[in-house]
Amino acid sequence: MTDGERSSIDDVIDVYKRDVDRTLIRQRLTRSIEERLEDLMELQRFAEELRRAGRRAAAAS
Amino acid sequence: MTDFKALLRTLVEGGVDFILIGGAAATVHGSSRLTRDVDVVYRRTRDNIARLAAALTPYRPYLRGAPPGLPFRLDAPTVERGLNFTLTTQLGDLDLLGEIVGGGGYDALLPSTLLIRAFDIECRCLNLDRLIEVKRAAGRPKDLEALAELEAIRDEGSAEPR
Repeated sequence: MTDGERSSIDDVIDVYKRDVDRTLIRQRLTRSIEERLEDLMELQRFAEELRRAGRRAAAAS
Repeated sequence: MTDFKALLRTLVEGGVDFILIGGAAATVHGSSRLTRDVDVVYRRTRDNIARLAAALTPYRPYLRGAPPGLPFRLDAPTVERGLNFTLTTQLGDLDLLGEIVGGGGYDALLPSTLLIRAFDIECRCLNLDRLIEVKRAAGRPKDLEALAELEAIRDEGSAEPR
């Protein structure tokens, strides 16, 4: 893409890219596809457990 | 929770022609962002639609977010007369897309896919360049951070995923 083809959306994405954790990306890229999908399901389980804990805390307060 | 493994296996073993896109495809390419559903573009042929409906029906697909009790059935006539469906199933959330913005349908996307292997199954996944293009075309603000990560993955020189 040349500068002439860039839009403000590219500039916005570049701002977000400054905060991307490239160390994490490099670590992820060492994993197999199956491991990446397993990690995603584990993250889902973790997020769901946190949501349940939040609901329990809200109900108890 | 969405059982990505079981959903993909159900489609593959049902003989469904589909392409994995969206957040799960981003995961395949190395994204660490959480996604809750499986997004696929399915081939809009009569035979494939019949296989799609037959594969998913045992898992009670229903319109996500709709009130319970509606007379919805994911059968071949329903899919043929519709295009895109956001569903819940007993295996998790599934978006069935006949076409996507900036990408078209299955046959248009097929040259931009790679065959991936996981969980002893093989399926088609949108390649990283095309995934970035269609996410840009979708134009959703929430995708901009995801796009930044995908572009960073590309910058890191991610070859085809292993």
